[in-house]
Amino acid sequence: MKKVAIVGAGQSRYGDFPEKGIKELFLESYQDMVKSVDKGMDSRRIGAAYVGNLGSGGFQLGNMSALVSEFVGLPYIHTVRVENACASGGYALISACMDVLSGAHDVVLAGGVEKMTDVSGVKQKYWLGVSGDTEYERLAGTTFAGLYALIAHRHMHEFGTTREHLSAVAVKNHKNGAQNPKAQFQKEITLEKAVKSPYVAYPLNLFDCCSTTDGASSVLVCDAELAKEFTDTPIYIAGFGSSSDYLAIHDRINTVTLEGTKRAAANAYDMAGLSAKDIQLAEVHDCFTIAELLACEDLGFCEKGKAGQFVEDGHTQIDGDRPVNASGGLKSKGHPIGATGTGQAYEMFNQLRGTVDKPARQVRDAEIGLIHNVGGSGGTVSVSILRR
Amino acid sequence: MTKLSIGISGYGVAVPRLRIKKDEYAKAWGSFQASGVSEKAVMGFDEDILTFASKVSKRALASVPLEPGKVTRFALASTSAPYVEKVLSGTIVSSIGMPDGAFVSDHTTSSRAGTEALMAGVEHVLANPSGCALVAAADAPKASMWSSLEHGLGAGAAGFVLSHDDLVAEFEGHATYVCEHFGERFRPRDDELIRDLNVKKYAQSSFIGATVKAARSLLEKIGTKQEDYAHVVIQQPDARLPRAIARKLGFTDTHLASSSIAGELGDLGAASTLVGLAAALDAAKMGDRILVISYGSGAASDAMSFKIVGERKADPGLRSEVDRKQYIDYIQYLKLKGAIK
Amino acid sequence: MAHVSVPMYWRTIPQRYRMVGQRCRKCDAVNFPPKGVCKYCNASFEFDEVKLSGKGKVHTFVLIGAGGAPPEFAEQEKAGGMYPVAIVELEEGPKVIGQIADVNPKDVKMDMPVSTELRKVYSEEGVIRYGFKFIPEELSR
Repeated sequence: MKKVAIVGAGQSRYGDFPEKGIKELFLESYQDMVKSVDKGMDSRRIGAAYVGNLGSGGFQLGNMSALVSEFVGLPYIHTVRVENACASGGYALISACMDVLSGAHDVVLAGGVEKMTDVSGVKQKYWLGVSGDTEYERLAGTTFAGLYALIAHRHMHEFGTTREHLSAVAVKNHKNGAQNPKAQFQKEITLEKAVKSPYVAYPLNLFDCCSTTDGASSVLVCDAELAKEFTDTPIYIAGFGSSSDYLAIHDRINTVTLEGTKRAAANAYDMAGLSAKDIQLAEVHDCFTIAELLACEDLGFCEKGKAGQFVEDGHTQIDGDRPVNASGGLKSKGHPIGATGTGQAYEMFNQLRGTVDKPARQVRDAEIGLIHNVGGSGGTVSVSILRR
Repeated sequence: MTKLSIGISGYGVAVPRLRIKKDEYAKAWGSFQASGVSEKAVMGFDEDILTFASKVSKRALASVPLEPGKVTRFALASTSAPYVEKVLSGTIVSSIGMPDGAFVSDHTTSSRAGTEALMAGVEHVLANPSGCALVAAADAPKASMWSSLEHGLGAGAAGFVLSHDDLVAEFEGHATYVCEHFGERFRPRDDELIRDLNVKKYAQSSFIGATVKAARSLLEKIGTKQEDYAHVVIQQPDARLPRAIARKLGFTDTHLASSSIAGELGDLGAASTLVGLAAALDAAKMGDRILVISYGSGAASDAMSFKIVGERKADPGLRSEVDRKQYIDYIQYLKLKGAIK
Repeated sequence: MAHVSVPMYWRTIPQRYRMVGQRCRKCDAVNFPPKGVCKYCNASFEFDEVKLSGKGKVHTFVLIGAGGAPPEFAEQEKAGGMYPVAIVELEEGPKVIGQIADVNPKDVKMDMPVSTELRKVYSEEGVIRYGFKFIPEELSR
C-alpha cells in the first residue's frame, strides 16, 4: 500500500491582523511552506488542495478554496473547501492523504485559513456558536464555552477534577506559547491569575477559553515514494482516523468522554500499528482547558478521570514524559478555526525534524507524534499520527 | 324538569416570582401613587401572559383533574398580549394539548376581559350539556414609567374549568352594565402603553357607577341579598377603590378580605377579578356565596354569582404563590419592563 | 444570530411545547428530542409518540455569565443576570438541554429534581419563540 509523507509545512503568524484577509493570510502560510521544502518545489506539481475553513464571517462562503488557491498561484487544480467546524484543518489533511492514497494526485496541499477578527463581536459569536447542535444547545442559550462547561462540570462532579487542574492546562500552554514566535499570546501566566480570572460560563473562566484568531497554515503532502525529491527528512503519516459523534452533548452515551476522539484514535493507532503508549508527544485540541484533559484521557495517555492529576504531575510539560501542546496549543498559540488542524501538523513536522524555531520548545529526539483536532464540542474529530 | 347546574369544576392560579416594593418607587420618583399597594408582582424576562395562561390552564385542569383532550372551549383574557394580531389561544391550546377542534376566543380590549372570557365559558357550557370550558386570564399591563398609572400595575393569572360535573362552585347568574365612556384608561392603536387622562372624578364615577349598577341588577335578577354573600370580589386597580364600591353596595371590608390581592400583587388588569375569585374560592366554605364584579374602561361591568358546592381547592393556592417571592430594585424593574431602550 | 427560521422552529413545536418524544417500536427506548433512527438500538425508524412528564434531574449544568451568552440571549443575560443551563436526565431516560428558570443560580445543584414549563425562549424577526424550560421541581405542582 502507498504511504504518505509530509515534505513541507508553513504557518502564518496567529493573532489579529486588520491588514490581512483570508487571501493574504493563506499566502503567508503557503510561502512559509514553500520555504520549508528543502529541495525546492515547483507549484505545478500540486494537483489538489484541501482548504479547511469554517466561514470567515460569511465572506466568500462559496468557492472559497478556488479563491485562495488561485491567489497563491494554484489555478486549474482540484480544490475543495473542507468544513468540519474547528476540525476543518485536520480533515483537510486527512482528505489530502486519502487523495494521495487513492492515486488521484501525488502531490497535494492541505491547509486552512480563518479570518475571525473582521466582524463584530456579535457576529463572531454567531460563527462560533453554530457548530454545536443549533436547535437545542444554541437555543438553550449556550455558546461553546457553555457546552464545554457542561462537560467540565460533570467531569469535576464524577472525578473530582479541580479548578486548579483546569488552570494547570492554561498555565502550561501559555508557558509553551511564550516560546512560540508565531503564537497569538506569547506571555506566561501564573496559576493564581488563571484560577482567579472571571467566569465566562461557570465552571469555566476566561483563562479556560481560547481566543478568536486570524491565521492560516499549509502542509505539503505527497506519495512517500516521491518524498526524497523534496527533502531528505520527510515526516510520514503513519496513520490517521476520524469519527463523528452525536452533535448535541445530551444525545451522547457519556457526557465526559469524546467518543469521536476515542474512535478516531483507535483507527489511527490501528493504521499505524501503534498504541497510545508509543506516542511521544502530541498536539491536542485545547479550545478549552477541559478539552485537553478529555484529549489526554480519550487518546489513552492516562486513565479516564485522571487527566487533571496527569497534567498537574507534569507529564505533559515539554520536559515531561509525554509533552502535550508544546506549541502553546489553541489556548496560547491561537485558534484560527479552519487553520488549526494543519497548524498542528506544521508544529509536529518541525518537532519531529528537530527544526522548531525556538530550542526552548523543542522536544528532544522524538520520533512519533500525534495531532488531534476536534470540531465543535466533539461532533467531528480527526487524529493523525506522524512519524520520522 | 330540573335545571342542570353548571359552574367551576377546578381552578388554578400563578403569580410571577419577582416583586417590587413601593419604597423602590418612592426612591426613584419621590412618591408612589397606587393606594394601598405595598408591593407588586413583576413578570420575569422569559415570562409573558401566554406563559402564565399556559401555566394556570395546566393547573386548573390538574385540580379537577381533567384530561386536556376533554376541553371543548377555551377563552383567554388579557390586556397585555404580546401580539395585537394573532390567535393567542393557539399557543395555549398547543402547549396544553387541548383538541384542535376546541372553539377558542381571545378577549383583550379591557380589564373586563377576564369576566368576558369567564362568561364565554359559562355560555358554552350552558349551551352544551357535554361541553367543558377552560378559561384563563393572565395580565401584566404596561404604562409609561412617567405615568402615575404605572405605579400600581402588577402581574398574575388564574384559570378555571367550567363544566356540569364535579362542581366546586355553582354558577348562579350574571348581569352586565355597559355604556359609552371614554378618556379614562385606554390604549390607541399603535400604542403599546396604556394611557390615562387623569380626570380622576370622571373616571371614578364611571367605575363606581357601572360596577354598582351591574351588581344591583344581578342581585335583583337572581333574587339574592347582600347578607347572602360571604365573599365579594371587585376589580382592583388599587386597594382603595373596591372598598368604596363595596360600601355603596352595602358590603364591608370583611366581604372583600378573602379576595384583596392588589395590596400584595398590584393591579392585575384583566386577571384582577379572576385571581380575586380564585383567592375567594381558596378561602370559601361549603355553602358560601361569592359575588364577582369586574370593570373595564369604555365601559362595562359584569357581575356574577357563585355558590360553593364542593371542597376542592387549587394546588398551589394563591397564598403560597404570593409568599414565594424575590425582590428586585427599580433598575431591574425598568430592564424587565423593557423601559430602557 | 444563529438563524433558526420560523418554519424550522415551528416544526419542533410538539417537542418544545408538550415534550412529545418517540418510543422505539423495536427496543422500547424513548428518544427525545426526536431522531430519524432510534439512537439506542440504531436499528429502527418506527416510533410511537409519547408525551414525556417533563420531570427529571440535573445531570450537569453551566452558569452563563457576562460575555458567555450568544447574541440572541445577551439581552436576557443583561436584564436578568447570569442564567443556568442544564442537561437534564428525564425520568423516561433521555437527556436534554435547557435553561433552568425561577432559580437563584447559586442554588442549582447536581441531581436537583426539575420539571418543565412553557417560557419565552427568545425572539427573532419579531416572532417570540416559546418552549420548555426547566424549573425546580418543588415549584411545579
